[in-house]
Amino acid sequence: MLSDLLFRLRALVRGCTVERELDDELRFHVEHEIEKYVASGLSRDEATRRAHLRFGGVDQVKEECREARGVALVETVIHDLRYGVRTLRRSPAFAITAVVTIALSIAALATVFTLAHTLFYRQLPVDRPGELVAVSGTRGPRTPEGLVSYPDYLAFRDRTQTLSGLIAHYPYAPLFVTTNGNAKEVNGAVVSANFFPLLGIQPALGRFFDEREDQVPDRDRVAVLGHDFWRTWFASRPDAIGATVKINGVDFTVIGVAPQTFSGVTTAPVELYIPTMMLGVGYRWCDNALAADCTILQMIGRLAPGRTVADAAAELPTLMPPSWLHAPKGQNSGVAVTSPRGATTDADQARLVAILAGVAIVLLLVCCANLAGLLGAQSASRATEFRIRLSLGAAPGRVVRQVMTESLMLAVGGGIAGIALSQLFVGALGSMFFAVDMEGHPLHFDFRLTPGTVITAIAASIVAGCLFSLVPAVNVVRRRRLADVNARAATARWSSSPAGSWLLGAQAASAVALVAVTGLLSASARLMLTGANFETSHVALMRVRPRLVKYTPDRAQQFQREVVQRLTAVPGVESVSMVGQGIVLHGGGAVIALPGWAADRSMRVRYNEIGPRYFETLRTPLVAGREFDDRDSIRSPRVAIVNETLARRLWHALSGVEGPEGRAIGAPIVVSNTPHQIVGVVKDVPLQTRTAAVEPWIYVPFWQNPQQVDSRLAIRVTGDPAAMLPALVREVNRVDPDVPIAETITLPLQMAGLIRPLRISATFVGYAAALAVLLTAIGLYGTLAFAVSTRTKEIGVRMALGAERARVLWLIVREGMTVVLLGVVAGLGLAAAGSRLVVHLLYGSAPADWLFYVAAALLISLVGLIASWIPARRAAAVEPLVALRYE
Amino acid sequence: MTEPSQRLDLPQGTLDLLILKAIALDPQHGWAISERIQQISNNALRVNQGSLYPALHRLERRGWIKAEWDVSENNRKAKYYELTKKGRRQLEEQTDAWRALTAAIGLLLDHT
Repeated sequence: MLSDLLFRLRALVRGCTVERELDDELRFHVEHEIEKYVASGLSRDEATRRAHLRFGGVDQVKEECREARGVALVETVIHDLRYGVRTLRRSPAFAITAVVTIALSIAALATVFTLAHTLFYRQLPVDRPGELVAVSGTRGPRTPEGLVSYPDYLAFRDRTQTLSGLIAHYPYAPLFVTTNGNAKEVNGAVVSANFFPLLGIQPALGRFFDEREDQVPDRDRVAVLGHDFWRTWFASRPDAIGATVKINGVDFTVIGVAPQTFSGVTTAPVELYIPTMMLGVGYRWCDNALAADCTILQMIGRLAPGRTVADAAAELPTLMPPSWLHAPKGQNSGVAVTSPRGATTDADQARLVAILAGVAIVLLLVCCANLAGLLGAQSASRATEFRIRLSLGAAPGRVVRQVMTESLMLAVGGGIAGIALSQLFVGALGSMFFAVDMEGHPLHFDFRLTPGTVITAIAASIVAGCLFSLVPAVNVVRRRRLADVNARAATARWSSSPAGSWLLGAQAASAVALVAVTGLLSASARLMLTGANFETSHVALMRVRPRLVKYTPDRAQQFQREVVQRLTAVPGVESVSMVGQGIVLHGGGAVIALPGWAADRSMRVRYNEIGPRYFETLRTPLVAGREFDDRDSIRSPRVAIVNETLARRLWHALSGVEGPEGRAIGAPIVVSNTPHQIVGVVKDVPLQTRTAAVEPWIYVPFWQNPQQVDSRLAIRVTGDPAAMLPALVREVNRVDPDVPIAETITLPLQMAGLIRPLRISATFVGYAAALAVLLTAIGLYGTLAFAVSTRTKEIGVRMALGAERARVLWLIVREGMTVVLLGVVAGLGLAAAGSRLVVHLLYGSAPADWLFYVAAALLISLVGLIASWIPARRAAAVEPLVALRYE
Repeated sequence: MTEPSQRLDLPQGTLDLLILKAIALDPQHGWAISERIQQISNNALRVNQGSLYPALHRLERRGWIKAEWDVSENNRKAKYYELTKKGRRQLEEQTDAWRALTAAIGLLLDHT
């Protein structure tokens, strides 16, 4: 074995010597043979002839010897590479185009891989993440994972044997912080004292929580700063340790700073950590945040040495708090133990990633088709070269290997460039779509290229390389069979060969489909951003939360009224309104009934409590009646506004002169068991995708709810809402600087967050479409230009025989356009299929879709026409006499 | 040189054995090996010269024979091949195997 290796090595290292020795050895043999024949009486010439005849092809024997020596593989690969570089250098434009197009499609693929890895597979950025398990309650099928209360947590933590530790944390605590003269709401985490030790995190400064600081409720007011918080609020000064920060009105002492590499275990970066005993500060919705009925905590455990996830999954249900055994529906009744992986468990994201992966693969295939076509044409032009090599004794396999080496060089080069490029794409993906959530809170997805992604991307480029080298390889093999066929005849045939046409047609079809789907997606995105029956530009949002600083409803409402008054008075503000539930344009649900209905009959509708001038602010047209105004107060009769869909659904059966909208006005309606009178009907605000029906809505006045405390404000301004926001926040601060203000973003930004999957798809498919159109143009142009150049003589003959220039022009254009138009027709079918795959992302009405199909078909036809026109013009410009002298 | 009317093509895989045998006594260069095989077999076997050299190189790689440059009988540099220990063992094993095989086939063919 060793000697074999040495032998190969010697052959490789001293390749020249070995080659020379082989030469010498074979020459010696032949000369000996000649001597023998001469000795037997033949003339020297005849002897030489016979000797060579008997020996056979020297080069072939040499080749076989090399192969027998076993160095052949390495040697040929190096040789092929060198030869490949030379070939590619001869046509740099082609090589660069190929590498760039592969790079662009591999970059898209690598970006999707990175997205998928981050969303679904990545482990937590902590010490030995493989040992961690997420422990949660289960609440029956199809309900979100069960959060637990502090006593529940203790029941698991104190008795588990399979886990070496269990932490509890509440990672989404809105903490309104005042310190150093700054005041802002930040995202905080309430964590058990063992949080940092269990995850293996070391402080950047100071220390983390001590066990003793997490034993008595509300006693130890200590806080750990996130690294970013430390940098922005304390300018990274070491004297931050010991400083006081006011969190939701309570003074805390800073004891440490988390490291820069750790910003929590969710995608919402944590700015501040406080111990679980201070949960009451971070969570305001329970009277006693540490009581058994306040289920807010998540749990993460670390497996004890030698234990598996299955061990923990078997043990933890036996430790369940007794109350879980007979829990009512919707409460925790079991335990789930999982490996925490990825940033999300959202099925919508999985569907999005599947779509993106599909598009990336289609793009790569289009790229393959394009290169296969171009390489096919190129290999046809190299027919003479291949023929010579084949007749000189090169095995067909050897020539095929040469062709494949060249393709693989392009593919791998493109793959490496694509991976580099994907770094840019991944950065853009993060900053464009994953920087903030739809309430304006910062997100930290930390998209990063992993070795696995790099390997997969390179593998994909190699597969692509093999695919697109198939056509030229088949050409070589076929050439061998047709070795005697005139080379020019073979080249001329390529452009109109079925394979070439198929490839071009497939590219055109994919381009049409991608362009049409891009149109659908971006039209939907635009519709949602500009609004249908609502208008988002020039609307600023903010959330004011007096509840966090323990305002009573009376005081809070007084505060809200003053805020609205002051904001309305700010120059540049057109109108101010608010919602009481959920975010602007959304809201919650309610049950309604008509007075005449049977006791058990009711209807679920969408619901929100809105301030006066809400529809004016959002530019939602009133169909009949009026908006809420200052008349509608806590003392006046309860009133409601319905949307057209609800009006039609409730009153369509009534006959009369007026439409259902008119009849609705003044009608009584029961909303959540309270009688209301309808005073207005508004247009539907279509916020649902095409797969869902338009929902019935009912709106009631914000000021008729005596429990109202917090609000989300919508402020229409004349100028840029983002630029106005700081001034608006200052104005609210003037009323009471201690009231937390959050979610200060613009309405378009909120909508953008809401339709993130749609925007990502639109951008990504748009990218693929642009590339596909470009590739189609390049492919068509390249093939036709090549056909023209090889058929110059034929064209010359035609023209010499009296063909008109227009006819020649038409001949070439027809050749290109036949393929393109067939592709376009197939593409329309593909587009229809493709749009069905993304229908769950689309908004607005379907009937206008045909416009995008037509536009896509026209665009590709036009691009095809231009791409065939240029080479056709060149053909028509051929001078018959010059052409006949050609070659 | 008289060409025998009927020559046998070498059965697959026997060329290696013949080469080993041809250099069993003393080192030989490639041409002499092909001559020797032809002579000893009374010109009955046809060694394709084109396949002789790849076979030599293959055997050398396997470590059954080793090559050395030396001066030939007509005073020219030639590459001489000789058996290694491993090659000698191979020759014995393959000779036995061949004998056993031909004997068995002979028996079968003689059986009436």
